[in-house]
Amino acid sequence: MAITILAPAPAEAPRRTYHETDLDTYGEDEDEMEIDDLPSGHRRSTQVITPGQIVTDDPQWMRGHGTFAASDDASSAIRSTLAGTLQKTNKLLSVVPLRARYTPEIGDLVIGRIVEVQSRRWKVDVAAPLLANLLLSSINLPGGALRRRTSVDELNIRSFFGEGELLVAEVQSLFQDGSASLHTRSLKYGKLRNGHFMAVSGMGGGAGVVRSKRQIFTLQTARGGEVDVILGVNGYIWIAKHVEEKREEVGLNRLEETASQSMYSSQNDEISSETRREIARLAGCIRVLAEGSVKVEEDNLRRAYEASLELDEIEGEVRYLGGERGRNIVDMVLGG
Amino acid sequence: MAMLADRRRMNAPPGGTSPPVFASLPEAKLTKPIRTRNPDEHRKIFLRTGVVPSASGSAYYEISPSNTPRQTLVPSSSSLKITCTVHGPRPLPRNAAFSSNLLLTTHVKFAPFATRQRRGYVRDSSERDLGVHLETALRGVVIGDRWPKSGCEVVITVLEGEEDGWWADAEEGGKAGSWGMMNVLAGCITVASAAIADAGVDCVDLVSGGVAALTAERNGEGVLDPCPSEHDIKAACVVGYLQSRDEVTEMWMKGDAGSGSEALIDNAVKAAVLTRTVLAEAVKEATEMKIGKTSEAAVETTNTGKGKTKDIQMTG
Amino acid sequence: MAPYTNIPLSPAELSYLHTSLAQDPPIRPDGRSPTQFRPLVAETDILPSANGSARICFADGTEAVVGVKAEVERTGRKGGLVRGKEDGEVEGEERGEDGWLDVSIEIPGTRDDDALPVFLAAMLTEALLADGELKGRLVIGRVWHWRLFVDILLLSQPLSYPLPLLSLTTHLALLSTRLPALISQKDEDPLFNDDWEASTHLFPRQPTTNEPETKPPITLLVMTVGTNILFDPSSDEIAVADAIVAISATEDSKDGGLKMVALRTVDPPSRLTSAGVPTQANTTAGGGLSAEETLKLREKDAGATVWRPPRGGVSRTVLGRMIKKVVEKGGVGEEVLEGLRGVKS
Repeated sequence: MAITILAPAPAEAPRRTYHETDLDTYGEDEDEMEIDDLPSGHRRSTQVITPGQIVTDDPQWMRGHGTFAASDDASSAIRSTLAGTLQKTNKLLSVVPLRARYTPEIGDLVIGRIVEVQSRRWKVDVAAPLLANLLLSSINLPGGALRRRTSVDELNIRSFFGEGELLVAEVQSLFQDGSASLHTRSLKYGKLRNGHFMAVSGMGGGAGVVRSKRQIFTLQTARGGEVDVILGVNGYIWIAKHVEEKREEVGLNRLEETASQSMYSSQNDEISSETRREIARLAGCIRVLAEGSVKVEEDNLRRAYEASLELDEIEGEVRYLGGERGRNIVDMVLGG
Repeated sequence: MAMLADRRRMNAPPGGTSPPVFASLPEAKLTKPIRTRNPDEHRKIFLRTGVVPSASGSAYYEISPSNTPRQTLVPSSSSLKITCTVHGPRPLPRNAAFSSNLLLTTHVKFAPFATRQRRGYVRDSSERDLGVHLETALRGVVIGDRWPKSGCEVVITVLEGEEDGWWADAEEGGKAGSWGMMNVLAGCITVASAAIADAGVDCVDLVSGGVAALTAERNGEGVLDPCPSEHDIKAACVVGYLQSRDEVTEMWMKGDAGSGSEALIDNAVKAAVLTRTVLAEAVKEATEMKIGKTSEAAVETTNTGKGKTKDIQMTG
Repeated sequence: MAPYTNIPLSPAELSYLHTSLAQDPPIRPDGRSPTQFRPLVAETDILPSANGSARICFADGTEAVVGVKAEVERTGRKGGLVRGKEDGEVEGEERGEDGWLDVSIEIPGTRDDDALPVFLAAMLTEALLADGELKGRLVIGRVWHWRLFVDILLLSQPLSYPLPLLSLTTHLALLSTRLPALISQKDEDPLFNDDWEASTHLFPRQPTTNEPETKPPITLLVMTVGTNILFDPSSDEIAVADAIVAISATEDSKDGGLKMVALRTVDPPSRLTSAGVPTQANTTAGGGLSAEETLKLREKDAGATVWRPPRGGVSRTVLGRMIKKVVEKGGVGEEVLEGLRGVKS
C-alpha cells in the first residue's frame, strides 16, 4: 500500500527502561519525602517531583540546579523548581528535568548550524535557548595554526562558514548569560560534508542523545563501507561517509596539526549508492530509537543497526523503518 | 474577507453595487459574439519596452479589441492592457537578512476601472494569487546568484482586464470560472519578461506566456488564446514557456479536461511560442534603438574632443 | 516574497540530498519508495457543531482540522440581461455559483493575505468547483441557496508544504458533511427537518452500498529530481526539488479511473539556496579568488561538483509523466482514495 492511514490511538505508555529494584519505598506524604532513604552515591531516583514540592528539610544538603529556597519556609528547606527526578551527587542535590532544551556545558561536543554572519564572528544555532558564538579567532585557518587573522580574512569570512552551514565544534566557555562560545581548534572539528543531518529533540530522561564516552565513532556497514556517526550532545546528529584525511608530511619541528587546504570546501566526495542506503538505514535506526524513548548512544545504535539487518534477513527487506518494523527494532535493542 | 477592508478611503457598500445594464432596442438582437479567427490563431499583440523612463525596465502590452461593429454601449468582447515596471536590481535594506540570490518580489494590481465589476484599491486574494503565479514563472528564468544581497521588484498594473464571460450572460447562474484571469496571467508573464530584459537582469531565456482552452462548442478541439466572452470554456491552461530549453516554468490548469489534458498543455505551449515571436521582436527592436542612440552619443563625444578617443597619440 | 519556508541547509547537504534522490532508484533520506506516503492518522466527524469535520495528523507532527458549515442565503441578481424569456417557464436545472463556496485557510505564523494561504485557498477552491457538481447541489430553490464555509486550520507550524495535508483533510470533511433535510416546498421560505438523522449527505451515498456516488477531489504534491518522480516529499526533499507540482484529481464517473481537475506549479525553495564553493576557489592562506573569479568558476562547474540552485523549469515530458502517475489506473491517486475510504468517524 502506498499510503497507510491509521485510526487515532491514545499515546503508548512510556517504556520502563530501568530496573524495578530502583523503586524504593518513599514516604507517602504529599509534601515531603524521606530523602535519606535514597541510596547514596550518584544515583537518580525514579520518583517524579513537581515544582514547588519540598524535597528535604535537612540542612546538610547543598542546593544544585532546579532547586530554590523559599523565603517563608524554614531556612534549610529546599524546594524544587522543575518537574523531574532527583539527582544526588555527594552532598549536592539537584533536580533533573524530564525533558528540557539543551543547556550548554563546557566541553560538550555539539553540532551547530550557522544562522548569522557578523563582522568577526558567527552566530550558531545549537538547539539551546541562546545562539552560540563562534569567533574568527577560534577556528583553524588553512595555512597553519599560527597564521595571523588578517583583515582579508574578515572580508572573506563567508568563504569559511556561510549561512546555513553545518559544523561540529566543542563548547569552549560560557558567557555570563549562558550562551556558549565554540571553538573548532582540532582536526576532528570543522565543517561537515559527505553526509546527512538529522535532529533528535529532547534531553534528559530516557530519550535523546546523552553524554557518553564516545560521541564520534565509525560503523562498519554491511555493504556500504565505513560510515562516521557524530552524535552531538544537543540532539543534532550527523551521519557521513568516512573519508580518510590525507595527512601531509609532519616534520619533526611541527608539533601543531596543520589544516588541510580543503577543510572549508563544500564539495562532496563521490559517495556510492550503497553507502547512501546505509546512511539512510542508520538515520532510520536513530529515529526509531528516539521515538521509542531509548537513549541514543553508540551501543544502542550499533545494536539497532544489527537488529535491522537481522530483521531484514528474517522478514524481508523493508526500507522505511517506521511503524511495525521500528517497534521490533526497539524491542530487540532493549531485550538483547 | 473582513481583514482586507480598505480603511483609508470611504468605500462603497460591499457587494451592494452592480455594473449598469443598458436597455437595448426591441429590434436589436443581442447575439453572443463568436470567434472569427482560426482555432490556432492568436489575437494581435502590441508590445513595447522602455515606456517608463524613470524605472530600470518597463513594458506595455496590449491586445486589441475585436473590430466587430458594436450594437450596445458595452463592448461585447474584452481586451487586455497591461503595463509593467521593474525596479532593480537594487540593494536590500540594511536590516534585511543576507541573501545570496536576487530577491524577486512581484506586485500585480488591477486598476479599479479595469473590469466591469469595480475592484477596490486594496489587493484582494485573486490579485495576490496572480502575483504568486507570476513569481513562479519569473523565478525560474532569472539567474539569481549573480546578484547577491539585491532585490528586484516587478510591478504590474492591469489597465483593462479580460472579462470572465459575456456580460449579458451574467444572470444565468454564474458562468464565471475566472477564465479571464488566465488570459491576464499569460499577458503578465510576457510583459514582465520584456520588462526584465529591458532592465538588464540576467536570464537564461525569454519566458513567454500562452493560454489555451477546451470549449464545449468545439467538442474537444482546443483553441488558442480564448476570449472568454466568445466561448463556453470547459477547461483552460496557462503556461510560462522557455522555448530554447523546451521547459515550462509555470503552469496553471483549471477545469474538467479529462483525457484531453495533454493536448491542452501542448496547445498552451503553442500559444506561448506565438507570443514569444512578438516578445523577441519587441526586445530586439528596443535594444537596437538603445545601441543606435549610444553609438550616436559616442560619435558626438569624439567629435567634441572630450572623452576617450580610439587612438592614443604618442607624444614626445 | 520568499517561498514558504526558510530551509537552511548547507550546500554540502543539498548536494548530497540531490545526488541521492537523482539515483536510479532514488534513495530517500528515510528510505521510502518513490510512491510511499508517510503514515498518517485520520478521523472524521469530530466536531458536533459543524456540518462536517475531519482531522489528520502526519507522522512528523503536523496536524490539520477542517470544519464545514452551511448557511442559507438569498440568491441575488448578479446583473446582466434578462434574455429570451419567451420560452415561458424557467429552465429546469439551476446552476450554482462559484461564490457560494468559501474556503479559508489559517496557518499559524502567517497573515490572511500572505502568499501561502492565498495560493492554497485558491487551489483548493478551484479543484472543488472544477466539475460544477458541488455548486449545483447547493441550490435550494430559485430564491435560496446554501453557502458553504470550509474553514481549514493548520494546528502546527508548517514543517513541510502543507498542501496535501490540507487537501486530504478537506476531502474527508466534505465527505462527512450533511445538510439538513428540506421540508418546505418549491419557492417558499426554506424550512428544514430538525431531526439530524434525516439529514442528507452533501456527497450523496448510494442507497445499497452506502458508498459515496461522487467524491471531492484530492490534491497531491509531486516533485521531480532529475528524471525521478517522488510523492509526499518531506521538507528536506522539497529543498532540493527541481520542480514541484500540485495536482488535483477526482474520480471520473465515466471511465472509472481518475481525471485531473487542476494543476499548479509551486516555486521550489531550492531556487533561493546559496551555491557552494568548489574546492579550487576556497580561499586559502591569504588572498584567495575574487568574487568575479569565484563566479566564473561556479559557472564552468555548472553544478557538477558543488551545489547550485536550479535554473529553468520542468520539461514537458516530465510533466506529462507526473500527471500520468497520478491519474492512471492503479496509480497513486487511486491508492490514496482507496486508503481514505477506510477512515471511520
